[in-house]
Amino acid sequence: MANKALVLELRQIVGRANVLDNMVNLQLYQYDAYLEEHRPDAVVFVHSTEEVAQVVQACNRHGLPFVPRGGGTNLSGGTIPFEGGVVIEMIHMNQLLEVDCSNLRARVQPGLFNLELGNALAPLGYQFLPDPASQKAATLGGNVAENSGGPHCFKYGVTTNHVLGLTVVLPDGQVVKLGGKAADPPGYDLTGLFVGSEGTFGICTEVVVKIVRLAEGVKTLLAIYDSIEAGSESVSAIVAAGMVPATLEMMDQLVIQAVEASLHCGLPLDCATVLLIEVDGLKDDLELQAKAIEDLCMAHGAREVRVAKDDAERALLWAGRRGAFGAVARLAPSFLVCDGTVPRTTLPQVLRKVAEVGRKYDLRIPNVFHAGDGNLHPLILFDWRDADQKARVLKAGMEILELCVAVGGTISGEHGVGLEKMEAMRLVLSEADLRSQRRVKQVFDPRNLANPGKIFPVPEEVLCAR
Amino acid sequence: MHADLGILRGQLEAIVGGAQVAAGIDQTALFAVDGVIPELVVRPGTQEEVAQVVATCYAAGAAMLPWGGGTAMGLGNPPPRVEVMIHLDRLDRIVEWDPANLCVTAEAGLRLGALQEILARDKAILPLDPPASHRLTLGGLVAANQSGPGRLLYGTVRDWLLGMRVVLPDGERIHCGGRVIKNVSGYDMNKLFIRSLGTLGIVTEVTFKLLPMPTVRAGVMGLFPELTQAWTAVKQALESFLLPEALDFLNPAAVTLLAPALGFQATAGSCGLAVALAGSPETVERQVHDFTALFRDGGGTVIPLPTERTSQAWEAIRNLLERASASNPARILCKIAVPIGRTGDLVAAAGRVGQNCGLQATVVAHAGSGVIWALYLPGSEVVPEERVVQALEGLRGKAVVAEGTLVLQNAPPALKRRVDAWGAPGDGFDVMRRLKLEFDPRGLCNPGRFVGGI
Ligand SMILES: Cc1cc2nc3c(=O)[nH]c(=O)nc-3n(C[C@H](O)[C@H](O)[C@H](O)COP(=O)(O)OP(=O)(O)OC[C@H]3O[C@@H](n4cnc5c(N)ncnc54)[C@H](O)[C@@H]3O)c2cc1C
Repeated sequence: MANKALVLELRQIVGRANVLDNMVNLQLYQYDAYLEEHRPDAVVFVHSTEEVAQVVQACNRHGLPFVPRGGGTNLSGGTIPFEGGVVIEMIHMNQLLEVDCSNLRARVQPGLFNLELGNALAPLGYQFLPDPASQKAATLGGNVAENSGGPHCFKYGVTTNHVLGLTVVLPDGQVVKLGGKAADPPGYDLTGLFVGSEGTFGICTEVVVKIVRLAEGVKTLLAIYDSIEAGSESVSAIVAAGMVPATLEMMDQLVIQAVEASLHCGLPLDCATVLLIEVDGLKDDLELQAKAIEDLCMAHGAREVRVAKDDAERALLWAGRRGAFGAVARLAPSFLVCDGTVPRTTLPQVLRKVAEVGRKYDLRIPNVFHAGDGNLHPLILFDWRDADQKARVLKAGMEILELCVAVGGTISGEHGVGLEKMEAMRLVLSEADLRSQRRVKQVFDPRNLANPGKIFPVPEEVLCAR
Repeated sequence: MHADLGILRGQLEAIVGGAQVAAGIDQTALFAVDGVIPELVVRPGTQEEVAQVVATCYAAGAAMLPWGGGTAMGLGNPPPRVEVMIHLDRLDRIVEWDPANLCVTAEAGLRLGALQEILARDKAILPLDPPASHRLTLGGLVAANQSGPGRLLYGTVRDWLLGMRVVLPDGERIHCGGRVIKNVSGYDMNKLFIRSLGTLGIVTEVTFKLLPMPTVRAGVMGLFPELTQAWTAVKQALESFLLPEALDFLNPAAVTLLAPALGFQATAGSCGLAVALAGSPETVERQVHDFTALFRDGGGTVIPLPTERTSQAWEAIRNLLERASASNPARILCKIAVPIGRTGDLVAAAGRVGQNCGLQATVVAHAGSGVIWALYLPGSEVVPEERVVQALEGLRGKAVVAEGTLVLQNAPPALKRRVDAWGAPGDGFDVMRRLKLEFDPRGLCNPGRFVGGI
């Protein structure tokens, strides 16, 4: 239970009001958007790099683990304090430190929400490209730690492609500056290695990101289909035609119905799937691209293609997509989001098999996904109070990951491994691959204090010894 | 080591066959690195053979270096020792080419140029355009993180590499990443090996995502009497909506070198801006128009690089410094990287180094990326080495003050013994050193050449 001496030390560092150690508050920090729960010993609100370093040093003195927490929107259990210890709440470190248009960079604190950065840049004519659907509530620190993607990643890449520098408090409390505003710093790419490390290499307290000009023009289309196959074949056809849309997102019927029930975006309730497509860039050929895409979709069996006429219509289409996860919450008390990624052309085949898995385990599985990236998000619906259902959900989830791997895909496209997919790691990594990753963890965090108990499955040697 | 060389040679011959192991100075001298000649040159034929060769060398305590196309062997500090050169030219197979998913997997010894030819047949490109692409291998591209003008629009290796296979220093084979375009299944291990210069293992296979080939290409070149005119034009271009593939600055010496290849007459003292454009006919035409106007309004003379000439012109621009110097052992080639807005200042400083030292300075900058290439060749006067050392350290100081770095990409070994190839390692060095120690505790993979003596 809460270690009194540690709590005293923490209060000395951040002030009394910034440390929580009563049971009610601790219970609030024992879960995130995944299914497991573990209680921390204390929660600390930090306000500066210096405070983070001192808190981490205190954890070191007490040999207690720590877990950084941003918005808590990750879907893999990344912020659950699996071995207890201190949750370091980053949300007050939310300053936009600098917008440096002449160098096309911004410097931010990690607690800033992704959307807040976007909103600050847009009036200046700039943007930060990674845009997870959760951008309203997800922090840039969380984006960095998960290497988040988003609906615009097909054209523009994921978080790692837009992060150039980090200030990091290493797991022993040392502060280091990695990378910066300039390109190609000599030495190993520690910035790149840190992105996607899920809080297990330490805590980032400042991020230098690449910003770019807003596109001159955007066209948003919605293609409506009576069959899922036709929709996913259109995706491949668009890419095969040499086009690189910014967005290629799909939602199936169950999701559409849920979205309509809560957001009223004007999506047809009786179609099998819709494909949200956006092309952006110089305005000169956007009309032509939109027309070509419309023709391709129609040729591949679309029932109708709508083109957003203005910003209001565009916003409505996007509200539907961004609100999809939230809306699905209407359909069942809980859902598990799978995050497998497959080569794009295998989508029709994989979606058929996902449906079979649903039938096999008697579970409803709506789909909303980043089709251009081949990144599926089957949402397995269930009731968390029903233990039998929960067991079936976990089995179905694993089976879906297996079938993604079988066609050359992987177990996580953007949500991370966390607690959720530790055992699935063996589907894609050999013992040697896993060992090499553990060695990197060992270098960053020899005492295993930074977000322990995540990412790695139990080593084979240990399994054999059991 | 010397006593056991015969034994090691026998072991390596047993793995790859006698014909694939070369010894004797007449054969190994071609593979000298900064004047250090390897004892043996081995040419494994498969990735598994690479693993066996590496494991054998590791067990024997032999220092090993991978050799791809040999185009970046000048990068790094002079090696204290090289026993075995592992030449990867036989690993030149395409492993999987999946046009529908725009994804290719190939062995590390395949030349970039050869890969591009194969991709072009199916109208795809890997948008990485370093110099000497016909010689450069994919493994070298990755390990030395080579880039070219197109990095403005497309980025660098880290933005296109999806996965790789690596032989670790002790011979263990691992796989990083995969072949899907989004992948967070564990740590991003690709980043550990990109630009690690073979110090953590040998890359044997790489998987890249690709782009559809643009329908049209064109270019525009502007010649400006004054430096400030060129930098004003760069600033305006970067603030516009325009999306050039590349925007390269050339100093007057570079313009003079380039003029014959592009068939124009260079007025003495003008600097140049070259723009590459790619995309649909509509966007390319619009950008040709806008850049032409931008350059003219900014006081420049415009030389169009129409579609039929543009790829040839860019071939010449990309390879300008390489062609002007590759055979010159006295060449000093610096890569300076600074925040984008400081590019002009550092280009000017790089030019002054030439004047101060009596060296001929040819400077090309990827103007929208903050990356500057400064080539120095001896002029007519003999310059004391001390002056060159001081000038380079001064230039590095300026880059560092601008929050950037200077790397010696090529220089005579004697000079590199006085000016570190990389400069002072930054904050993360302790972690880097421990990574090296973890993966290569005996210090046998490309020892002593990397940052901070790694
Ligand atoms: C409705 C919904 C939609 C989503 N859509 C997308 C999507 O489109 N694309 C996508 O990629 N993800 C998506 N996600 C997942 C999630 O939003 C992202 O992973 C997001 O980046 C997490 O940010 P966060 O601030 O909530 O991080 P948290 O959940 O608080 O933390 C995530 C991980 O990061 C670590 N961490 C947090 N801050 C730091 C720090 N400063 N330094 C080091 N480590 C830190 C934590 O320890 C944890 O391991 C979605 C989630 C929801 C609920």
